[in-house]
Amino acid sequence: MNNKHVSCGIVALFIVVLVQSTLWVQGNRTQVQNEASAAQQAETDANAQLNQERGQLSELRRQSTDLIEFLRIWQPYFTTIDNPQSAEVNLSMRIKEANLVNLAQRFEQTPVKGNASIPSTLRAYLTFEDDYARLMNWLGDLEVKMPTVRTSSARLSKGTRANDLRIEVILEQPLLKQ
Amino acid sequence: MQITEHQIDDFKSDRKDIAPPLPAVLRLVPLVFYCSIAVAVILSSIFAIQFQLAVQKRENHKTATASVAVQTQDAKNQRTALEAQIKKATDIQNWVASSRPLQPLILAITRSMGPRSSIVDLRLDREADNPSQIKMNLSMGTDSTKQLDLTVEKIAELNYRAFSPTQTLGRGQLDYKATLVHQDPFSHQNEEAHR
Repeated sequence: MNNKHVSCGIVALFIVVLVQSTLWVQGNRTQVQNEASAAQQAETDANAQLNQERGQLSELRRQSTDLIEFLRIWQPYFTTIDNPQSAEVNLSMRIKEANLVNLAQRFEQTPVKGNASIPSTLRAYLTFEDDYARLMNWLGDLEVKMPTVRTSSARLSKGTRANDLRIEVILEQPLLKQ
Repeated sequence: MQITEHQIDDFKSDRKDIAPPLPAVLRLVPLVFYCSIAVAVILSSIFAIQFQLAVQKRENHKTATASVAVQTQDAKNQRTALEAQIKKATDIQNWVASSRPLQPLILAITRSMGPRSSIVDLRLDREADNPSQIKMNLSMGTDSTKQLDLTVEKIAELNYRAFSPTQTLGRGQLDYKATLVHQDPFSHQNEEAHR
């Protein structure tokens, strides 16, 4: 091997280096192009998911219009009394204002099954003996003015006097979840 | 001193060790080298431009994807909030539907009593598992079932339907038991309208 062969070898080596560097650049370009394609696919998928999510949301909005309107109307009635103390005070005040003969009253907080939004109620166990008309008017007025209160039990029997009525009622004041 | 031409030639030694010329194929190597430089520069430039464009495209798609993901998450949050509202509304609706006032029912029963009848005991209890159902226990001081028919009619006028009714008559007292369920009169109309 003479110096001409050595020179040829060096030049050939340069050629190989050039080819390799060109291939390296091409490889990088292909890799980034693949990443760009993947990013484009991801964007397409994300757009499809967004469209699906928006579709579901608008459909849910359409289906629940009446319910949401119902909630808008009724929620203020439930939020005015949201703790046992205020419920007890409110009921006691209404009984006192009516000036009824109250034989017994007891309050207790009880859990509600199967209603996550109303986890508990304040139960009022009340016994009255008074004029029939006054008692009926009081109960009717209470049920109208406090529409969230549920009369869960009522027991009526004759009172000691002719027009008197004895009534044992259990009233439930719902306590909305905070 | 002057040196003759012949003498100068004598100083030059013979170049016996000059390398033999390369084979014809290897003479192409420099040509290939120059061509490869040109091709490498051209191709590398093209690849570099494509690389830059691809990087820009990738970044644009990534930015757009991130923006879409934020919008999707926002829509999901809105849907979750709406579902919570719907659940709350349903719970409240169930409560309201099963809290229909009892006073009109009590009044209807008491007002249905004729002059020769009276209520001995009336008990209305909502069922614990299904509060929209009301268990009624009515003891009347009467000697005929006509009074009961009248009372049941008045109850029906308030759109309550009696299920599993039982009655016992004896010694001038009539006991009546039934489960009352309120039925919305408009629901039937709506169903008929849909048909």
